[in-house]
Amino acid sequence: MNKHPKPIPGDLAMWIIIFAELLVFGIFFIAYAIVRINNVELFNDSQLTLNRETGALNTILLITASYFVVMAIHALKKNLSKKSSHYLYASIACGSLFILIKSIEFQDKFSAGIDIGTNTFYMLYFLLTLFHYFHVILGLMILFVVALKTWKGHYKADQTHAMETAGSYWHMVDLVWIIMFPLIYVIR
Amino acid sequence: MNKLYNIHTVWLMLVLLTLITYCLSFIDTNGTAIMLVLMTVAFVKGVMIIRDYMGLKGVSLLWKIIMYGWLTVVCLVILVAYLLV
Repeated sequence: MNKHPKPIPGDLAMWIIIFAELLVFGIFFIAYAIVRINNVELFNDSQLTLNRETGALNTILLITASYFVVMAIHALKKNLSKKSSHYLYASIACGSLFILIKSIEFQDKFSAGIDIGTNTFYMLYFLLTLFHYFHVILGLMILFVVALKTWKGHYKADQTHAMETAGSYWHMVDLVWIIMFPLIYVIR
Repeated sequence: MNKLYNIHTVWLMLVLLTLITYCLSFIDTNGTAIMLVLMTVAFVKGVMIIRDYMGLKGVSLLWKIIMYGWLTVVCLVILVAYLLV
């Protein structure tokens, strides 16, 4: 039996950032659920205007993007840096598709005259999803930098620290969406 | 991870659980039972991401408490807030 716990993957500073981000998202989620208590009909009616298909597709895209990040770390540990970078590019492709689909969804709402001031549901919908949207963009930028350096052979089998750090942030973005999808799109 | 429970099957299970959530969205989700199922599915998916994607299996108890604690509190508060109505 292993007496000592294994170290946390990636950089400790990133985990402190992740914890702070989760606290903020957690407060948003709780605020959404509590505000809904006095606006049940409004929330239920407004929720039905959202596209559940794109919500589900975006969830699968983020889950798959996270899977590719894990595969990239596994490949790098075997010193397969090219293969590892390919997994990261696949992850970036999934994340970019998420951004594209979400952008179309936002555009649809704006062109239908729906914005952050339409009602309380949409205020929270835009606050939560836009906040998450910018986190996905930041995550993609971090992944892209790591993918490029991996592709150029900057990392060896024993140098997974940067990729684990980037991956941890990306998984946080995934984790948050896992709660956001049922909360905003499904439960009523 | 064993032969059946590995990163590939974790991905598959996460996709299947997402599809289950999507299918359940077509049922009138006002009921307590359906709400419990949906939040349990979200919780299980969260556990799999923390444990298998983030790789927190085997790390110190403090980090497990932070991550699983966040997930538990968020899911429970949402559940209670919805069941109160």
